[in-house]
Amino acid sequence: MNPASQPIMQLRRISKRFGATQALDDVSLDIYPGEVQALIGENGAGKSTLIKIMTGIYQPDQGEMRLEGRPIKVRNSQEAQVYGIAAIYQEPMVFPDLNVAENIFISHRDFGPLVRWKEMHRRAEAILAQLDVRLDVRQPARGLTLAAQQVVEIAKAISLDARVLIMDEPTASLSAHEVRQLFLLVERLRKKGVAVLFIGHRLEEVFEIADRITILRDGKLIASHLASEGVSAEQVIREMVGREVEEFFAKTTAERGDIALTVENLGKRGVFSGIHFQVRRGEVLGFAGLVGSRRTDVGLALFGIEPADEGRIILDGQEVEIRSSRQALEHGVAYMSEDRRQLGLVLPMSITANITLPTLRSYLNGLGLVQRQKEKSVAEKFKERLSIRAPSVEAPVAQLSGGNQQKVMLAKWLNAGPKVLILDEPTRGIDVGAKAEVHQLVDELAEQGLAIIVISSDLPEVLSMCDRILVMREGRQMGVFSRDEATQEVIMTAAMGQNNAVAEGAS
Amino acid sequence: MAKIIKALKGWEGFLLALLTMIVIFNSTLAPEYLQVNNWINLFELSIEKIIVALIMAFIIINAEIDLSVASTMGLTAAVLAWMNHAGHPFALALATAFLMGALAGAFNGFWIAYVGLPSLVVTLATMIMYRGGARVFMEDKSFGDFPEWFNNLGQQGLIGPLPFALILFVILAALAIIILQYSGFGRYVYVIGNNREVARYSGINVRRIKLILFTFSGLISGMAGILFAARLGAVRGDTALGFELDIITMVLLGGVSIFGGSGSIFGVLLSILIILNLRNGMSLLNLTGHLQTGVIGILLILSVLLPNLAQRVQELWRRRRYRSSSGEEAVQMP
Repeated sequence: MNPASQPIMQLRRISKRFGATQALDDVSLDIYPGEVQALIGENGAGKSTLIKIMTGIYQPDQGEMRLEGRPIKVRNSQEAQVYGIAAIYQEPMVFPDLNVAENIFISHRDFGPLVRWKEMHRRAEAILAQLDVRLDVRQPARGLTLAAQQVVEIAKAISLDARVLIMDEPTASLSAHEVRQLFLLVERLRKKGVAVLFIGHRLEEVFEIADRITILRDGKLIASHLASEGVSAEQVIREMVGREVEEFFAKTTAERGDIALTVENLGKRGVFSGIHFQVRRGEVLGFAGLVGSRRTDVGLALFGIEPADEGRIILDGQEVEIRSSRQALEHGVAYMSEDRRQLGLVLPMSITANITLPTLRSYLNGLGLVQRQKEKSVAEKFKERLSIRAPSVEAPVAQLSGGNQQKVMLAKWLNAGPKVLILDEPTRGIDVGAKAEVHQLVDELAEQGLAIIVISSDLPEVLSMCDRILVMREGRQMGVFSRDEATQEVIMTAAMGQNNAVAEGAS
Repeated sequence: MAKIIKALKGWEGFLLALLTMIVIFNSTLAPEYLQVNNWINLFELSIEKIIVALIMAFIIINAEIDLSVASTMGLTAAVLAWMNHAGHPFALALATAFLMGALAGAFNGFWIAYVGLPSLVVTLATMIMYRGGARVFMEDKSFGDFPEWFNNLGQQGLIGPLPFALILFVILAALAIIILQYSGFGRYVYVIGNNREVARYSGINVRRIKLILFTFSGLISGMAGILFAARLGAVRGDTALGFELDIITMVLLGGVSIFGGSGSIFGVLLSILIILNLRNGMSLLNLTGHLQTGVIGILLILSVLLPNLAQRVQELWRRRRYRSSSGEEAVQMP
């Protein structure tokens, strides 16, 4: 470890904006050879955007990057490769039908028109030997464990003489043992003088591996600590969540009614387990957690898209079985997807057709024909109630802004008349105004006696909207916190798996 | 009225203009072209294909394909002819043939909807399989000797000069328009064709709808095979061989997107009229059948190319307008 040397790569005042979201705001970062720098932050803090800018997938709006002091422009991932900047991701991108050696050299253009197999195998073996990894280079990548696939990716980066290696949550799907192996490998890379940028969610890992810990929040660089200076986990968490909680609306606490939904010990093999909670009428229950916490999977299980395989679901005191979305709807459970474009709306079709889709049967006459007037008047009603801004209810939803599309999706599920409404990231990618409207609406719905589950990565949003907050981490329930006990620190601590004892005591 | 004008702007408008041109051109070539008998004759020569094109439109709008329709036609015709030849009651032979068609379709539907295999592969396989079945029944022979009423049904006018199959086609076309454009089932067909995941996430039983569609595809193809047998009066192992490509051409030329989700029966009807009249006109000009096929091929490529081009031009236009009005580019979140 020699952090005193010159930085190999420097990011200078990088900014990037997507519509209403300032993904990166004036971020400057130095990356040193032979140093492992951890980059941490909440979902949406700007980590992925930063990586994508470094690897040429996005172009920064402002700012520049320097490599060994010289300004560079990385226009695409090929150029990143030329500069020696490589990235490996949580899900390795290997070609399953090619063997290990082929995967390692897949990006090489220096072998000439013909493949010299012996030479390639020999060089692949040499690289793996350098990393002290035993792997048959003639074995096809199909069937390799995730960890081995990552090794292949790392070997690939080394074969390209990568000097900056970005690792985007490499440990997310690895077992504890595999994480150990990976860290040994990172150690060797560090000794070789590679600069490693390590994006992680598990704080204990970050503290173990990193020489430097850099914190991003809301697109801004908050702090950068040398591990040797002895920064505490508490301080890092505080810096990650530390923004002032702006009260964007005053939640009214609705009259609590009967228990609408009880979930007991719900689980799905290999995905999540031991999920246990109740929601009352008029109550908003938040689901918080980081990427990979499997919150959405619980939602999908309750909606019958990916049914659970253990546990009980009790609706209005009756135990029910939910094996399909049709059944879920019949039992009064509706789920609004986080992916508006792929799973939520039929974009080329009209607002009307989208709103009536789940309940189309009730708009059919005796001959099975759609009663256009009836569905149109329902759509008009929602257009007014949710103030959907559109030329007419016959307009295709593709023409609407994100916020208005989101409202159409809400209308679609409200019209289904659910007892339990699950909202997955209801305000993702919409502007501040539309966001406030959605919050207001959820509040009103709760007041009308709907039981609502909000899955959200936006911590301030969860804190201000919800009566209680269930925190998940890697498929496990870390605790349920009441509105009074929940602070950003408490939620983040549970979500990152720190100090489990406190979290369990609170449920 | 506004609706009609709107429709005319799109692909269907183009087809209508093209059809008008062909009709005018043809009528200047030969005065007998405009006679009712010529038109009936036009339809009669392709009546089985255009009946199957109606259900094929449903399948393709649903973002699937059925390559096995012609083989199903051959199979049901073969079953009918073979049973009749073997001395079974004709009513039983007819019922068996119909059932065979529906089963053939349901078999496709099962693999596609419930096992999740791509329809291109499944129906390619059954196209070969069903054709093989037809050849097993027929060997190298040709069976005819159907009851007289059956042959008459295929070869003579039922109401005046109008043959049974043509009347049936008109009824089926009307039904297809009503079901696809106005019924709840039709709405589901479009939604699934656009995005089957949204359909699934909206509580729609996607699999059931696909199974129903393929079963009907088989049933109607089977019926078309029976009609074909009646018209020809005899069946061989290669009856209706290669029809699937003509049928798919009719549907695609009618503006149905090969990716599913859009298109209309009206467009398909126009494209059928265009193909029939174009062939008629080219025959009047003494162009060979092969050349006619080539021209239809060019038309098909145009049908894919032109709407794409139009869309791109439109998008460019919109973007430019948007930029100048708001000063900001439309944002696409990743």
